[in-house]
Amino acid sequence: MLMLKQLGFLFNADLCIGCRSCEAACINENKTPAGVRWRRVTPTSENSFLSISCNHCDSPECFRICPQKAFSKQRDGIVMIDNGLCDGCMKCLPVCPFEAPQFDLRQRKASKCIFCHERLKQNLLPACIEACPTEALQMIDLNKEIPEGSVRTIPGFPDILLTKPSIRFYPSQAGKRYFIQD
Amino acid sequence: MSKAKIVIFRNVCPRNCYNTCSLLSYVQEGKLLKVAGDPQNGYTQGKLCAKGYASTEFVYSPERLRFPLRQYPRGSGKWQRISWEEALTEIAEKILELNQLYGSNLAIAYNKCSGNIGLLHYAVEGMFNSLGAHTKPRGNPCLAAGQDAFIYDFGKALNPDPEKMADSKLIILWGVNPAYTAIQQIKFINKARQKGAKMVVIDPIFTVTAAKADLYIQIRPGTDGLLALLLAKILVEEGNYDQSFVLKHTWGFEPFLNYLRSNNLQDFLSQVSHVTGVRPEAIWELASLLADSKPCSLWVGFGLQRNTNGGQNIRAINALMALTGNICLPGGGAYYLNSNLDYFPQNLLNHQGPGGSHKQSRQVDLNNFASDLLNLKDPPVRLLWIANRNPLSQDQNLNKWRSLLSKLDLIVTVDLYMTKTAAMSDLVLPAASHFEEDDLNLSYWHHWLTLNQKALPPFFEAKSDLQIARELTAKLNKLSPGFSNFPFELTAEDWLAKEFTPQVLKLYGLQNWEELKDGPRKLLQADPPWAGRTFLTPSGKFEFYSAHAKKNNLPAIAKFKWPQTSSYPLRLLSPQYLLSIHSQSGWLSWFEHDNLGIVKMHPADAAKRGLLDGNQVKIFNAYGSIVRKIQITASVPPGVVVAYQGGEDPLNTLIVNAFTDMGANQNGTNNIAFYDVYVECAKGR
Ligand code: SF4
Ligand code: SF4
Ligand code: SF4
Repeated sequence: MLMLKQLGFLFNADLCIGCRSCEAACINENKTPAGVRWRRVTPTSENSFLSISCNHCDSPECFRICPQKAFSKQRDGIVMIDNGLCDGCMKCLPVCPFEAPQFDLRQRKASKCIFCHERLKQNLLPACIEACPTEALQMIDLNKEIPEGSVRTIPGFPDILLTKPSIRFYPSQAGKRYFIQD
Repeated sequence: MSKAKIVIFRNVCPRNCYNTCSLLSYVQEGKLLKVAGDPQNGYTQGKLCAKGYASTEFVYSPERLRFPLRQYPRGSGKWQRISWEEALTEIAEKILELNQLYGSNLAIAYNKCSGNIGLLHYAVEGMFNSLGAHTKPRGNPCLAAGQDAFIYDFGKALNPDPEKMADSKLIILWGVNPAYTAIQQIKFINKARQKGAKMVVIDPIFTVTAAKADLYIQIRPGTDGLLALLLAKILVEEGNYDQSFVLKHTWGFEPFLNYLRSNNLQDFLSQVSHVTGVRPEAIWELASLLADSKPCSLWVGFGLQRNTNGGQNIRAINALMALTGNICLPGGGAYYLNSNLDYFPQNLLNHQGPGGSHKQSRQVDLNNFASDLLNLKDPPVRLLWIANRNPLSQDQNLNKWRSLLSKLDLIVTVDLYMTKTAAMSDLVLPAASHFEEDDLNLSYWHHWLTLNQKALPPFFEAKSDLQIARELTAKLNKLSPGFSNFPFELTAEDWLAKEFTPQVLKLYGLQNWEELKDGPRKLLQADPPWAGRTFLTPSGKFEFYSAHAKKNNLPAIAKFKWPQTSSYPLRLLSPQYLLSIHSQSGWLSWFEHDNLGIVKMHPADAAKRGLLDGNQVKIFNAYGSIVRKIQITASVPPGVVVAYQGGEDPLNTLIVNAFTDMGANQNGTNNIAFYDVYVECAKGR
C-alpha cells in the first residue's frame, strides 16, 4: 500500500518523568472503560519510564492475525481497529509485542489506540501528546524525516523486529550521582 | 451520540499543590464530559497532571458522598440518609443549646485545613466568626517554619516568578521533587538546561527528579543546614562570594563570618561529610558550581523544614544564597513560596463577628489540636465541625484525636468522600466539587489568578462550604433571630466581587473581575522580588543576623541546630506521592494505589533485619504501629524508610508531639515536624 505518511511517536526517555499525564489524558479523552489502557506508563528501572501505546507498526501483526479483518492500515500510517468487526476471539492480544490491543471484558471486544484520529482531523494533537508537560512524547511522520540522533529502540522496549513499530527514541542520560556510602 | 451543545467552563484545580492548574471543562447537559488544560494560563500552558485529567472520575466516583448522613452509634458504620433540613436543624439546635448552657459559643470549635484552597472556602471561618466568640484553630501544619525563616532573613517569603527559572545558569533543587509535586515547573527548568544550565538535586531520596539531574547529592535528612554552612565557608575562604553585595545589602555578616570561622576548614569538612553523608568531592563540586554559575536559582522544598531544626536549616541555605548575591539577580533567587494571597482582602476569612466579638474566641494550636481541645474547660468543647480536612489521617497525635472524638457531643464533617475522619463523625455533609461551585484561586507558587466557574449542577445533594454557611446561618437565625451576623444573603458572585479591590484589579491589569471569565491573568508586577535590593526586614537588608529571631528565642544567626536523636534507629520520611495529595485522590479508580501499601528500605537495613522484598512488615515506635509491604531499594539512604501519606492505615499514627523550630512568628504556632519521626521495622504485622 502506498503510504502518504507514517504517523508515529517520538519518545524522549531523558525528558519523561513518568508523570502519567499522557495515560490519564488518554482515558479522559477516549473514555476507555476500567482496565482498558490504550496508553501505559511503566518503569523500566527505578526512576526511568516508558510510555507505550499502539505503535501503528509498519508490519502490524494484529492486522495479519485477525480473522475478522478488524484491523486496517490507513494511508497516514495509522492502524485502525473496527469495533463492529471484532468478535472477541482475542487472537490479536498475544501477537502484539506491545500489549496494545486491550480486551474489554464487559463488551467482549478488543480496542486500542487509534492515534486520536478524530482530533487530528481538527488539527489537534493526540490527547497524550497534548498532555505531556515535558514534551517527552511527540508526534512524528516517519516518512518525512527521522529525528536527528534518535534511535530505534531503548532498553526495556519490546522487540521491534517483528512488527517494525512507528516510534523513535532518545535514550535517557544519567548525570553524576553521589550516594551516601554506608 | 447526543447532539446537545457542549459548553466550556473555566475551572481551576483547588488542591494544595504547587501547580494550581487552570482547566477547561467540557459540559453537556449538566454532565462533565472531559477536561483539558487551559492554554491561556502561561504557567500551566494547557497541561494537567494525571490527577487533574482524572477529574470526571473525581466528580462521578461511586465512592462520592451523595446525601447528608447520620451515623449512630458513632464509628459503627450504621449510616442513615437524612435530609439537609434535618441535618441543619440538628446542628443549629445543638449550637443554640450549648449557647444557652454556657452563655457563649466557646463550646463550639472547628478544624479546617487545605482540602480546597479556593478563596470562598474561607466561608468556614466566616461562618464561625459570625457566631462571635467560639473556639478556633490557628497555625499551619506544613510550611510555617520555612516561612518564618524567610521572614527573619528577607522580611517576607516572596518567590521570584518561577517562569524566570528558565533564565538560570544553575538550578539547585534542594529537597523538592517537582517530577511528583510540581510537574508544570519541569518545562521551565528544561528550558534553562537547553541553554546550558546545570541542574543539581540535593535530597535524601533518589527521586525521579534526582534521576534527571546533572548532579545528584544524597544527604541525610535534617542535616541540610550543615552542608549549606560548609559551602558558605568554602566560598568565603576562597573569596568566591559577592563582597560588594554583602557589604551594601546585608546585615550582620560579621557575626555570621565569625561563626563560620570558628572551625578550621579541614576539620569542618570532615565533620560535615561525616554527619551529612556527602562525600568531600561532591561538596567541592557543588562549591565550584556555586562560585562559577550565576544567576543561580535555589528552590527549597517544604519537606526539608518539617524537622525540629527545619527553620534553622532554611536560614542556612538562605545565607548561602545571599552570600553569592543570587537573591537579587534576575533569573536567580531563593524559591520557597509566594505571598500573593496577601494582596486580597479575604473577606470571608476576615469577616467580623457581632461587634468584632469573635476576637474573644479561644485560639487553639491547629498542630496540637486534639490535646489542646481536651484540656479546655469552662466550657469544654462539645461540638466539632471539620471541613477541608482529614485529621484522623493527616494530623499528628492520632490517639489524642480518638479520645477527643469519644468525648464530643456532636461531630460534623463536610467532605466529598468517606474519609477516616468522616467515618468517625455523627453527621457527614456532602461537599460540592470545584466543578459545582464558584470560586477564585491563586497559587502559592506561580503568579496566575484563575476564576473557577460553577460548571455543573451539584452532585446529588452536595453543597459548597459557602452554601452550607448560608443555609446554616439562615436556620440559626430563624430559630434565634440575630444569632449570627453572617451575611447569608450574599451569593458566591457577591463574595467574589468583593475580593477585587481597586488595588487587586490594578495588580492583575483587570478592568473588572468578570474579565477573568475570558481567561486566567498573571500578576503584572512579577519582577524578581528583591531587585531593588531593599528588604522587608527591620534593617532593610538581608539579615544574616536577625534580632527579630533572637527576640523570638531563636538563634540570631543560622547556626546549625542538631537534629533530635531517638532510640528508634530508622528515620521515617513521608513525602508526597505522584497520584495523591496528602490523603486525597486515593479513591481514583483510574490508578492503582500501590504507594499506600509500601515502605521503601535500603538493602543494608533490610539485610540487618532479615527482611526480603515484598515481606509484610510492622513499622512501629512508642506511639503505635502500621503495616506495610517492604520494597527494598537503594533509592533511600541507609537509616531512612519512606512511606506515603493517606490510606486505611495512616502513618501519622507514628507521629506524636513533633514540632518544628519555627512557624509561630507568622502563623501563631510552629508547624509539625512530620519528617522528624523515628521507627523500627520488623517482619509480620
Ligand atoms: S503495536 Fe500492536 S496493535 Fe499496534 S499496530 Fe503494532 S502490532 Fe498492531
Ligand atoms: S506525560 Fe510525558 S513525561 Fe509524563 S509520563 Fe507521559 S510521556 Fe512521560
Ligand atoms: S493536582 Fe496539581 S498538577 Fe494536577 S491538575 Fe491539580 S493543580 Fe494541576
